[in-house]
Amino acid sequence: MPSEPETVVDVRGLTRRFGAFVAVNDVSFSVTRGEIFGYLGANGAGKSTTIRMLCGLLAPTDGRATVAGADIAREPGRVKRSIGYMSQKFSLYADLTVAENLDFYASAYALSGRLRAARMDEALELAGLADRRDALTRELPGGLRQRLALASALLHRPPVLFLDEPTAGVDPLARRAFWRVIRELARGGTTLFVTTHHLDEAELCHRVGMMVDGRLVALDTPAGLKATHVPGTMLSVGTGAGGEAGTRAVMAALAGMPGVHGWQPFGLRVHVRVDPELAGPGRLAARLAERGVATADVEATEAGLEDVFLALVRR
Amino acid sequence: MSAPVLARFSGAVRRTRAIALKEFRHMARDPQVVLLALAMPLVLILVFGYGVSFDVERVPLVVVDRDRTAESRALARAFTAAGTFDLVAVSDDEAAVEPLFRGGHAKVALVIPPDFQRAQGRGDTATAQLLVDGTDNATATIALGYAETIGLTLTQRDLPRGFDVPLRAEVRTLFNPALRSAVFIVPGLIVLVLVIVSVMLTALTVAREYERGSMEQLFATPVGRVELILGKLMPYFVLGLMQVLLVLVVGVYLFEVPLRGSVALIFVSASVFLLAELAFGLVISIVTRSQMVAAQVAAISTFLPALILSDFLFPIDNMPPPLRVVSSLLPPRYLVHALRAIMLRGNGVESVLPDLAAMGAFFIVMMVIATRKFRRTVA
Repeated sequence: MPSEPETVVDVRGLTRRFGAFVAVNDVSFSVTRGEIFGYLGANGAGKSTTIRMLCGLLAPTDGRATVAGADIAREPGRVKRSIGYMSQKFSLYADLTVAENLDFYASAYALSGRLRAARMDEALELAGLADRRDALTRELPGGLRQRLALASALLHRPPVLFLDEPTAGVDPLARRAFWRVIRELARGGTTLFVTTHHLDEAELCHRVGMMVDGRLVALDTPAGLKATHVPGTMLSVGTGAGGEAGTRAVMAALAGMPGVHGWQPFGLRVHVRVDPELAGPGRLAARLAERGVATADVEATEAGLEDVFLALVRR
Repeated sequence: MSAPVLARFSGAVRRTRAIALKEFRHMARDPQVVLLALAMPLVLILVFGYGVSFDVERVPLVVVDRDRTAESRALARAFTAAGTFDLVAVSDDEAAVEPLFRGGHAKVALVIPPDFQRAQGRGDTATAQLLVDGTDNATATIALGYAETIGLTLTQRDLPRGFDVPLRAEVRTLFNPALRSAVFIVPGLIVLVLVIVSVMLTALTVAREYERGSMEQLFATPVGRVELILGKLMPYFVLGLMQVLLVLVVGVYLFEVPLRGSVALIFVSASVFLLAELAFGLVISIVTRSQMVAAQVAAISTFLPALILSDFLFPIDNMPPPLRVVSSLLPPRYLVHALRAIMLRGNGVESVLPDLAAMGAFFIVMMVIATRKFRRTVA
């Protein structure tokens, strides 16, 4: 095993235009073996277009990319053999049974003989459906179907797995189970490229790229992103019984206050990023009291990727 | 060098088979579709075989015999004996005819003038008048044809030899002397059944993949476009051949349609036609991507030509030139022509080669369009 991390996905200046609209604009990054790469952005920011180009489904207008050593524009066939792909929409056939769906994908990847039988058993195991192989897929709960889709995308043991919004419409418990599997795969050396708009899921990725209007505006580890884009200490300010009027009063008081980087409402509280000198106990509360907000309670909190995302979008 | 080629080929075969098997399974999960595909030909052949008959039988006839001689009665008998006309009234007054027509009790009236026997005796042309209710055009036309035949037969039989007969065209019908409709209908019906069910189902199958989002998933696997297309065609091809068999069996055993030529050649022709029309269905499906739209486009662009432009119901020779051109660009007329040639005339392969070539060309054009469009619309 090489000590130098091995690059599995390499993207250089990737661009895709649809007429005058630039869906993906000069995007560059690389993903190493065993990494979970999160790809974040609002709807229409270019996440799915990027994934479709990387899967050989869509030709880039400009730039180049290799996936598992294959050029996506010149060798889409080789790309398809070495990737697994779970599309955004539900990808299994609801009117086929669990075993029939697996059987189809096994044949689509031309698996045969003993290897095929072994892989299908493993897939049933992974999906937790060993005892329900003859159940119709439409009768399975969403979480199980999602795991079955994942298991079918893994039948041919692809070195790279692309997951486009894999947990959309899946309940939180099933999402957690799903992510346990994903981390397990990454530990086993599979490279994962995941788009999501669940920011709590993005926290579980090794590195996160943020897309805004077709551009990759930030790329770092979750901690690195927070340190760069939401500097300062995060405090959470509430007004007790003040309700929404109280929240508005807090934000009005924050306007123009020295040492305050930014704020945003968070339920009935306000998240405020401040310089270290304002972060000490009681300091911010005192300043707010000077400006007429007497009942504020201030507690320390942590910046989330959501704060990063909002900071990037507003910029 | 040959080993990788072989491996690639066996992979392609395996993937095509996987698509076909998957498609068969979709069918099996939705048995109504298969049931419909097999019930439809039965219903159609019964409806067309019994209901939409061009055979004119038991046409209600009124005879107005003002001559009342042996000759006039012989003429009336000749009309009623064939089974084509059903004598509902006899009268000696022409005025009786109109009320019977208006009431719908009679459609044809044979009026024999008072000097009928005398004219015949003199050797003049003996004229009888045939009145036909023109509101039922088809019946009228055919009744006239029958009447003419009866009249001619009678004239020839009764005229003394060596007599100078005014020359008139004599129509002799070959291959289908009784002019039975079923004989014409079965070849056309095979065409109709194939386009209705098979093309419709194929048109739906690709659109369905687009609609449920599985098309993108399929394209992310190593399954190629041609593999996908062939795999998807296969189950509907098999279903189509079963329909042909069904219509043939019912046609031959229930309607006594002759089967003079080779059954194998019938299936070869039907297969080429099926491939052409299925590929057409695929093109529709790929272009529209919506089951709703695909179904409508398929209905208009395959069902109507099969019904109207195929020579099935309406003779192509009677069509205005633009329609004749459209008809010659679409496969249905070629299969109707080929099937009539094989089944009714017992012709061999050499007489249907042009038809096979035309349908084959249509298939190739459609396959090229299907694969091209598929590539362009992958994303």
